[in-house]
Amino acid sequence: MDFQHFAEHRLQEIALLIMAIVYILRLRWLLKFKAGKERQPKTGLPGTTMKKGILYSWANIFMPWAMESTRARFFIYLQFAFFHVGVTLAILLSFLIPYAPGLLEISVLVIAFQIFIGLACVIGILRILRRISNKYMRAISTPDDYFSLILLTVWFFFATLSVPNNGGTIQLIYFLLTAFFLIYVPFSKISHYLYYPFTRYYFGKTMGYRGTYPLKHITPPQS
Amino acid sequence: MIYPGLQDRMVKNMAKNNERSHKAQVVLERFEKKLNRQIVGSLVACVHCGNCTDCCHYVLANPGDTTFAPAYKADQIRKIFKRHFDWTGRVLPWWVKAKSVYTDEDLENLKDIVFGKCTNCRRCSINCPMGVDYATFNRMARGLLVSVGIMPEGVAVVSKDQWEIGNQMGVLKEDYIETLEWLSEELEMEMNDPEAVIPIDKEDVDIVYTINPREIKYDPRTISDAARIFYQARESWTMPSDGWDMTNFGLFSGDDDLGGAVAGRVYEATRKLRGKKLVMSECGHGYRSTRCEGPNWAKDDIDFEMESSVITMLDYVKSGRIKIDKSKNDSSYTFHDSCNNARSCGLFDEPRELLQLAVDDFREMYPNRAENYCCTGGGGAMSMSEYSARRLKSAKVKADQLKATGAKYVVTSCHNCVDGLTDVIKHYKLDMQVTQLVNLVANALVEERRGIPVPEIPVEVKPAVSLSGKKILVTDDEPDFLTFLTAVLEDNGASVLTASNGDEAIRLALAEKPDLITLDLSMPGKSGIETFEILRKDDDTTSIPVCIITGKPEMRRLIYERAVIPPEGYVDKPVDEEGILVNVRKTLELVHKK
Ligand code: SF4
Ligand code: SF4
Ligand code: SF4
Repeated sequence: MDFQHFAEHRLQEIALLIMAIVYILRLRWLLKFKAGKERQPKTGLPGTTMKKGILYSWANIFMPWAMESTRARFFIYLQFAFFHVGVTLAILLSFLIPYAPGLLEISVLVIAFQIFIGLACVIGILRILRRISNKYMRAISTPDDYFSLILLTVWFFFATLSVPNNGGTIQLIYFLLTAFFLIYVPFSKISHYLYYPFTRYYFGKTMGYRGTYPLKHITPPQS
Repeated sequence: MIYPGLQDRMVKNMAKNNERSHKAQVVLERFEKKLNRQIVGSLVACVHCGNCTDCCHYVLANPGDTTFAPAYKADQIRKIFKRHFDWTGRVLPWWVKAKSVYTDEDLENLKDIVFGKCTNCRRCSINCPMGVDYATFNRMARGLLVSVGIMPEGVAVVSKDQWEIGNQMGVLKEDYIETLEWLSEELEMEMNDPEAVIPIDKEDVDIVYTINPREIKYDPRTISDAARIFYQARESWTMPSDGWDMTNFGLFSGDDDLGGAVAGRVYEATRKLRGKKLVMSECGHGYRSTRCEGPNWAKDDIDFEMESSVITMLDYVKSGRIKIDKSKNDSSYTFHDSCNNARSCGLFDEPRELLQLAVDDFREMYPNRAENYCCTGGGGAMSMSEYSARRLKSAKVKADQLKATGAKYVVTSCHNCVDGLTDVIKHYKLDMQVTQLVNLVANALVEERRGIPVPEIPVEVKPAVSLSGKKILVTDDEPDFLTFLTAVLEDNGASVLTASNGDEAIRLALAEKPDLITLDLSMPGKSGIETFEILRKDDDTTSIPVCIITGKPEMRRLIYERAVIPPEGYVDKPVDEEGILVNVRKTLELVHKK
């Protein structure tokens, strides 16, 4: 029981602290590289601006119609969307159990959490299968890619079962995995969400300044 | 060749002892200096989601070959970065597939990817949900390899020409000026107006017009078309005698120093002439290099306006400075977006607007604008003959796209795309031709003849060189083309001899001493290149002017590399009657002047 409490509280706090420190170091490292500048006057139609480009770039992920890659594979996009909803809820759960357990007595909330995190777990399995079976995916995958995906999928599994906050071994495993996850993330590809705002900011800035973003709607062929 | 197992062992040993070839060592040392925040972001942010895979024309045309996938190609650069700069890669390299470079062979393999499997078209970049801009760090990797002398031969030759001669096709200043004078005289004669000229080095003008050297060498009609448009618009303009090449091989080779030096020459020329605006003719990479990247490479805060001639022409039409009659362009037209113009400089609506003003039947291709596919000749690919087969295979995507439009002409605002598309059309036997907006606008001009009608003050104009009495030897292994060429030249007064191979051409040249020889480059038996060299080296034929007429633009480089005087003329197939006559006359005229 003591260990369970330690795993749900102190261990999570330590893991969070480590993650925060490593993240700060990582950001410092990234920011030490000078940002490239655009000296030239802007190009593109008058309606396009750097600011619009940045906003469009950030919003891009919520607009599956904006990119051919997401337009053409809407099912993959949906998987992406629900997978990330699952991540958010599973992280939230690690705060709700120790700090707001009362909320988990609302059965609608419990069911909603279980559906979404469970769905993310199924998507995780689909993603593992895709990574293994698709030749192109195999060619670009590293051990870290496989491990991160498996780790998250297993974590979702234990998170789904832990939503009712019944304690026990499953919940303990969920918290141990969460702690491991928090410490491992900055060293793995999962840390991409730290870079995401930067890469999209700079890409949007360049493309907006040059008048390419926001992308013009493309008329599909007639027949 | 080293036994592969032994090679692996050698590399492993080198890795163990941290030994590297000199070049590999230099590449690593320079790697860090090339990194900026955008590039580092793109190097760390890839999640290997594979979303970009199908966006690359190389992948689509080579199903099953994973080495063409953008993320795979990017990883060949990324793994070096991870091994040396990223903490996980430094501690646990195998975990993230981090790997350094040790031997020159490693660098050669990287060369094959960064030059031979990517045109830097940025199509994958705009399709990456993470904002990974692979094309930008692919260019960086090119620059690293170039800095240690590892690059395709064509890239080395063109870069050298641009460094040493000042333009990427090695056009000598006197040839440039002579061509402009010749075109200027023709315009003056056509318009019967001494003011209808191509001004060179005129100061305090509104527009300084810069071009792609390809226009001087293979397509002078685009210059005269632009001159006619400027004349009709009563523009105050000039062309500089130096710093006139707005193309920039630094963009392709990744060499920022070259990029800065070349762009700097164009800026300097504009300032020297106190031009108000620098206008660049229709060339995608030239526009991007001079307009968008050049100020950054040259670290120059530009104090004059810069624009593409597409925008200049559009302004003329919209403001009524020139009038055009679109019924003169009565075929069907589609538009190919140069990726440098569209994806990297946001120039995609203006050319469409102008095109719709200049033609009746415009058919959009799909996808278009920033999502259009590369012509497959981009990123300097046209100068890398070792990758021609790969390039043409990957062009299947473009060919299908062109074909689906059913148009007879594909219009593009990029000289590089003109060559790339011409190759695609030829290879895939499409019933189509390539043209540019400047040609269409000039063709549709409602010309105001404002020449001075004063016959008593005769203007000294030289007639175009007549072909009558000229003996021309035409050499080509395609009987249809031989017949066509013979008919065109004979209809214009020439007497024509024909040869269908190199040996026959040499024999006839020696026996008949023609005034001009036209030569196809790829023929069975003795190639056009060998034939040309033999003709040039023989005292009896060395002074006979030669005009190359070829459907293999990638072989162009080979002929200019020979240690003999280069050919006097050069024409790309497919070519129409007018194109042949203009070029044949120009070749004879140049010789005549000499
Ligand atoms: S789409 Fe972007 S993140 Fe995904 S594999 Fe391609 S480069 Fe990497
Ligand atoms: S930049 Fe273009 S050619 Fe290169 S990988 Fe991306 S899509 Fe393919
Ligand atoms: S040649 Fe044209 S289409 Fe091809 S990469 Fe260059 S600009 Fe793009």
